[in-house]
Amino acid sequence: MIFYVLRRLLFLPIALFGVSLLIFAMIGLLSPYQRLATFINSPERLKSENVDKLISQYGLDDPIFVQYLRWLKNVFQGNLGWSYVGKGPVFEVILERFPYTLELTIFSVIPIIFLGVSLGVISALHHNKLLDHVLRIFAVVGWSFPDFVFGLIILMVFYSTLGLFPPGNLSVWAETIVKSQAFRHITGMLTFDSLLNGRLDIFWDALRHLLGPVLTLTYVEFAFILRITRSSMLEVLQKDYVRTARAKGLEEKVVINKHARRNALIPVATVSGQTVVGLLAGTVIVETIFNRTGLGSFMALAAQQLDYASIMGGTLFFGFILILGNLCVDLSYAFIDPRVRLE
Amino acid sequence: MKRILWWSIVVLLCLGWSGLVFAEVKNPDTYIYLSISEPDTLDPHFAYDTASGEIINFVYENLIAYKGESVSEFVPRLATEVPSMENGLIKDDGKTYVFPIRKGVKFHNGNDLTPEDVEYSFERGLLFDPYAGPMWMLIEALFDYETLEDFVADKLGMSWADMFNEDGSLKDEGYAQKLIEFYNQYIDPAVEVEGDNVVFHLVRPFAPFLSILAQNSSWSAVLDKETSVAMGLWDGKAENWWKYHNLKKEESPLYQQAIGTGPFKLLEWDRTQQKVTLVRNEDYWGEKPKLAKVIIWGIDEWSTRRAMLEAGDADQIYTPTQYYDQVKGMPGVKVEEGARITITAMHFNWTVSKESKYLGSGQLDGEGIPPDFFSDVHVRKAFCYAFDYDTFIQEVLKGFGHRIPSVLPKGLLGYDESLPMYPFDLEKAKEEFQQAWGGQVWEKGFKLTLLYNTGNEARQTACEMLKENIESLNPKFKIEVQGVQWPTYLDAYKQGQLPAFVIGWLADYPDPHNFIFTYYHSNGVYGSSQGQAFKDFAKANLNPLIEEAIAETDPAARAEKYTEIQKIAYENALGIPFYQPEEIYAMRTWVKGWFLNPMRPGEVNYDSIWKEE
Repeated sequence: MIFYVLRRLLFLPIALFGVSLLIFAMIGLLSPYQRLATFINSPERLKSENVDKLISQYGLDDPIFVQYLRWLKNVFQGNLGWSYVGKGPVFEVILERFPYTLELTIFSVIPIIFLGVSLGVISALHHNKLLDHVLRIFAVVGWSFPDFVFGLIILMVFYSTLGLFPPGNLSVWAETIVKSQAFRHITGMLTFDSLLNGRLDIFWDALRHLLGPVLTLTYVEFAFILRITRSSMLEVLQKDYVRTARAKGLEEKVVINKHARRNALIPVATVSGQTVVGLLAGTVIVETIFNRTGLGSFMALAAQQLDYASIMGGTLFFGFILILGNLCVDLSYAFIDPRVRLE
Repeated sequence: MKRILWWSIVVLLCLGWSGLVFAEVKNPDTYIYLSISEPDTLDPHFAYDTASGEIINFVYENLIAYKGESVSEFVPRLATEVPSMENGLIKDDGKTYVFPIRKGVKFHNGNDLTPEDVEYSFERGLLFDPYAGPMWMLIEALFDYETLEDFVADKLGMSWADMFNEDGSLKDEGYAQKLIEFYNQYIDPAVEVEGDNVVFHLVRPFAPFLSILAQNSSWSAVLDKETSVAMGLWDGKAENWWKYHNLKKEESPLYQQAIGTGPFKLLEWDRTQQKVTLVRNEDYWGEKPKLAKVIIWGIDEWSTRRAMLEAGDADQIYTPTQYYDQVKGMPGVKVEEGARITITAMHFNWTVSKESKYLGSGQLDGEGIPPDFFSDVHVRKAFCYAFDYDTFIQEVLKGFGHRIPSVLPKGLLGYDESLPMYPFDLEKAKEEFQQAWGGQVWEKGFKLTLLYNTGNEARQTACEMLKENIESLNPKFKIEVQGVQWPTYLDAYKQGQLPAFVIGWLADYPDPHNFIFTYYHSNGVYGSSQGQAFKDFAKANLNPLIEEAIAETDPAARAEKYTEIQKIAYENALGIPFYQPEEIYAMRTWVKGWFLNPMRPGEVNYDSIWKEE
């Protein structure tokens, strides 16, 4: 088991190296002038020969492998470069923004799994009856809805007209308190920090601002879990041990909850793990619409502006999260299902 | 299970509503403005974008300021008088400017403003001159050079690269003395303290000098010398000044701090949220602002900005004109209209680089154009006749714009509506095409690509309308319209690959020179991207006039010169001046005292605005 984990961890830097090489090669396809657009962003700046001087000042005209080696050397010194979009060192910017994405993921995953599993089970128990059809249609609609459409609907209907689910991280009054000296920042996640500081009012406010994106992500994502749960549950309900449980006269509730559902959840656990990992790297649009300052919206901005230090740093970070996340999923799988325990 | 679901929904709704306040005016003494993007830097001598200028403009102050909405009348600010020929503060035929400095003004950290602070601020900026920064304006005004490095190279007879290693150290210690002398001989005497006055010495009269100094021009803002030196800016000495030249943006100590004398203090620049917070300067020497706090917040997504305005969580938002219908009639919201000094035009490259991928076959064979296609005046004229100006302004801009005779926008000296303009006339366009290239164009046809920088639907539509009209004249005429991202544009521009391109220009300072030079001078930003043949033409016909105009101090005589230049531009069909756009400003009805000065970076006069229903 430990060897397995170690082997997977050893694989991590190699994978990241490959990813960075790939990205750098793609950036190398762009001309130095195109990459300079990060530094010069309006025509008013195109004065005299400054453009060429800037290119050589930032070493943008060096051969691409020289630039890669320079970047690699910096990475080994713990320096991911300067983010022009984030206006700070890349690593710092990522660390500052990641808690927001993590927080959103944590709060979204709870209703996604809860709704997906409970409705999936209900759906399976009412197999091919009206309720099953209604739930499946409801889920498929959500699954097919692009998140930017649903996000905008929430914003327009619930926020603009009803005053519910405001965008942003916090209200103005709450932000003043959070920015004050007295407020300690521990996790970087506003909901947890406010609880740790004993500020229920700020917790409430932060939660209120989370609802819009959480609702959007939930509706768009829960269908997948529902489908997996439903089919897995249907399969399990056909199993001999379920029939045995019924035959020995157990109550239907116990049969479903203890014998069937538990076993049906094994594939769901895997898929849920992947959903978490996917959410961590996939909240770009929701973060943009609801003006949340997470990593997703930052990466979108960096890509638009060809801020390659940020793109490289962000990609490495996502690669790291994805590989680590998948490792956790694999390990938990072994933990949940003794049959696949690794030796 | 069902019960839990229902309860969750009830709790959700309660949570959501608990924050809904039915107050008359939300956050009455805080102004929340939603813009796009965020400041580039807070260093006044590096900042060259409106988002940075918007902050600097209210934290720092300049010697003079524009009067209200005017762009030609000034009022004193840190100076006590605006220099003029009449009051004797402009001397030597416009080569010397004297500014009496105000007393009793304090910086945000309590230091007193002195004339030495003013001298230091300008010299620091001139020596710093970061690449692609704004300092060229003062360098041009004071010394008639474009960059400090050009200036040094010309006076010392060796280029910057000759004197310095890659790491910024001197190649030879002997150069140090030369550089010190350069400072003592040229930079130091240009801005001098004389008693309570600060005096500027120009090498020749420069008509727009006061505009370059006026409030809104971050490059002329006044810093506190003592604080600046303590922070690690230039130490004010001749020795080693070059170590403070062209620092990278993030290396400047003023990158994210600001201590000025202005009506607001910088409280915080939250880079994660793209949000800047300013608070009222309670010790401000002038009239104190009515607002206690200003939040300038970059939210790039339009729907989010719109929703926040509708909910009253924002007081004013940046609104592109295409969204006019969405804000017009929104309850509790009013829409103001106005124009900034900016234009959009199409220009031609008379000698496109042969490597250009936008030329098709590269020959006049119906499948492309030769690189010098646009050097024939008939081709250019035909293009000018083929654009339906009025329909475009009415239908595409929804009336938010007007025609301009040349690249000179309305509101500037020399603008004259009565100057000749090409009408939309397809018959005339046809005649011109028939004469072009000795009739070959009409006979063989052509194929070319028109470029515009993406993100601007109006520019795209303009190109498409031109395409439709020209293609309707002759089935052998083929035009492709292609949007290029700014990075690609920058690329093609530097390599001379753009055959015909649409791009706009926003005034750096409200003077005709800033537009005429940019488009028509062979060294102008767009002039230089119109090919060698154009540059030769400009050198012979336009450059001398443009240079005479800038040194002319009499406004009437200057205006005449600009009229002459515009006539040359018309006769030779140097470009298609498409339009000067107008803008809309959506704000809550509780916003009072708002006005627009076209030169103000940002859309709000935070220092005099207030909220009241």
